[in-house]
Amino acid sequence: MISYATLGLLGLLSLSIPVGIVLFLLGFGLDIFFTPFPLMRGLGNLVWSTSDNPTLIAIPFFVLLGEILVRSGIATRTYAALDRWVSWLPGGLVHANVATATMFSATSGSSVATAATVATVAMPQAEKLGYDPKLFSGAIAAGGTLGIMIPPSINLIVYGFLTQSSIPKLFLAGLIPGLALALGFMAVTVLICLIRPDLGGTRRVFPLAEMMRALVQLVPILLLFTAIIGSIYKGWATPTEAASVGVAGAFVIAALFGKINAGVLSQSLLGTVKITAMIMLVVIGASFLNFTLAAAGLGRELQDMLGGMGLSPLGTILVIVAIYIVLGFFIETLSLMVVTIPIVVPLVVAQGYDPIWFGILMIVLIEMALITPPVGLNLYVVQGARQGGRMSEVMLGAAPYALTMLVMAGLLIAFPQIALFLPNAVQ
Amino acid sequence: MTGAATRAEALLGALRRINRGVAILVGAGLLACAALVLTDIVLRQVAHSLGGTDEISGYVMAIATAWGMGYALMELGHVRIDILRAQGGTAIRALFDLFALLVLAGTVSLVALKAWPVVERSLTNSSRANTPLETPLALVQIPWFAGWIWFALMAWLTFLAALVLVLRGAFDAADRAIGVVGEGEVTE
Repeated sequence: MISYATLGLLGLLSLSIPVGIVLFLLGFGLDIFFTPFPLMRGLGNLVWSTSDNPTLIAIPFFVLLGEILVRSGIATRTYAALDRWVSWLPGGLVHANVATATMFSATSGSSVATAATVATVAMPQAEKLGYDPKLFSGAIAAGGTLGIMIPPSINLIVYGFLTQSSIPKLFLAGLIPGLALALGFMAVTVLICLIRPDLGGTRRVFPLAEMMRALVQLVPILLLFTAIIGSIYKGWATPTEAASVGVAGAFVIAALFGKINAGVLSQSLLGTVKITAMIMLVVIGASFLNFTLAAAGLGRELQDMLGGMGLSPLGTILVIVAIYIVLGFFIETLSLMVVTIPIVVPLVVAQGYDPIWFGILMIVLIEMALITPPVGLNLYVVQGARQGGRMSEVMLGAAPYALTMLVMAGLLIAFPQIALFLPNAVQ
Repeated sequence: MTGAATRAEALLGALRRINRGVAILVGAGLLACAALVLTDIVLRQVAHSLGGTDEISGYVMAIATAWGMGYALMELGHVRIDILRAQGGTAIRALFDLFALLVLAGTVSLVALKAWPVVERSLTNSSRANTPLETPLALVQIPWFAGWIWFALMAWLTFLAALVLVLRGAFDAADRAIGVVGEGEVTE
C-alpha cells in the first residue's frame, strides 16, 4: 500500500492538480481499494471538524499580522535597518535577507508568510545592486523557513495540538535551534562569497552613526515579539490567542507610522483570505487522507516495517530522518507533518525520545522540505515575488542552505540539549 | 477575439470582482474575531472571561475557510506543481490547466455534496453544540455548507469560461484565468 500511495501521490501531483485536491483523491483511492468500510460517508463530518477549529484560527491571524507589517512599510524599514548592520560581510545584502527573515520569524508563525514578506521587500534590491539571483533568492527561501522554528510557529502549534505536548515548551525549544540556523545560513553565505566573490554583489560599509540610527527602526518588531511571546509566558493568552495580540500590535505600529488606510486594510485582508484558504485546502485534504491512511492500516504497516529491521533507537531516528528527507521532496510541508505525526511520534516516544525534542527535529526536516524541489512551497513563494527569471535558479540557490539544515538535524540528534536546554532551564 | 470569448472573459471578470467582495467580508469577519479574542484576553485580566470565544473562533474559521476558497481559486492561490506542465507549449499548458480545474471542480462538488448530510442531521435533530453557548449547529453549518457550494459553483463557472477561451484559441486569456502563477509573471 505504501508504494501505491507514493506512486499515486507523485503521479497526481505531476499532473499539476492542486495539492489539496490531490490529497483528497488519494484518500478516495485508499478508501476504495484498501479499507474495509466506506469512509466517504464521514467526509462531510471530517471537513467540518477539521475547519471548525479554534487552534487553527492562529493561521489567518499570523498571516494578517505579516500582511499589515509588509503593506505598512515596516518590513521595508526593518530590511533597510538590518542592511546597515550586515552588508559589510562577504555576501552583503544576502545577510540582510537572512536577518530580516529571522526578525520576522519572531513575529510570524508561518514560513510562507515570512518568505513572502522578505521576498517582497528584498527582490527589488537584488537587481539594482547586481546580486546573483540564485544565491539571493535561495537565501530568502531558506531564511523564510525560520518562520516555523522561531516562535511563534503555526507548525509547532499544530504539532503540540496533535501530540498533546506543551506548546509553550515547544516554542522555547525552537528558539536556540532557530537562531543557530540563522547564524549557520550567514556562515554558509560568507563561505560561498569568499570562494566566489562575484556572487555576492557590492559590500557596503555604513558609518557608525547611521548604524545606530537604524537600530531605532528595529524597536517596533522587537516590541511586537515581546508582546506576543510575553503574553504566552505570562499565562495571559494561549499561543493561539497570542496571535490576536500580534494583530493588534501590528495595527498599533502601523497606525503610529500613519500607514493605516482603507487600501492597506483591504489589501491585507485579501492577502490573508487567499493564503488562509490555500493552507486550509491542504490541511483539510491532509486530514481526510490521514483518516483513510489510519483506517487502511498504514501505521501498522510502517511499524512492522521498522520493527522488522530490528533497529536501535538511533537507527530508528536515522531511518525516520531519511524518510522525511525523501518525502520532503514531494509532499507539501504542513501535509507532511499532519500525515506523519500520528504514525511517527508514538514510534519515537516508544523508543524513549522526548516528544518536544522530536518536534524540533521534525521542524528542521520540514524546513528542509520547504526548500527542496519539486515541491517546496517557499521556492514558489520567492519565485512568485521575482520579476521574471527561472524557477530553477531559486532551487539551486537554496541548495547550500538545505545542506546547512541537514547539518543542524545531525547536531540536534547528537546534542539534544540544543533544543531541550531552554525549556528545561525555564522549568 | 470572438463574441463567445469576449463573453467568457466578461464572466471571469465578474466572478473575480464578486469573490473579491466576498473575500473582504470574510477578512472583516476574521478581523472581528481577532478583536473578540483580544477583548476576552483583556477582560480575563480585569474581570471575567466573556466565555465561548474559542467556540466562536472555530465557527469563524470554518465559515471563513469555506468562503475564502473561491477567492483563492480566482487569484490562482491553490498551490499546484508545475514541473511537467512547464515543459509544454501554450496549448499543452492550457490542457493541463483545464484538466486540473475539472478535477478540482469534481472533487469540491463531492465535498459539498457530502457536507449536506452534516447539516441535515443538525437540522433534523435540532443539535446544539455541547458547550456553554449551546449554539444551534445548523446556524453555523448552513453558512459553512453554502461556502462549499459557492466554491464548487465558482470552479464550474471558471472551468466553462476557460474552456470557451481555450476552444477559441485565446490561450493567453485562459492562462491568466486558470494558469499557474510563476515564471515571468508578477504578483503583488
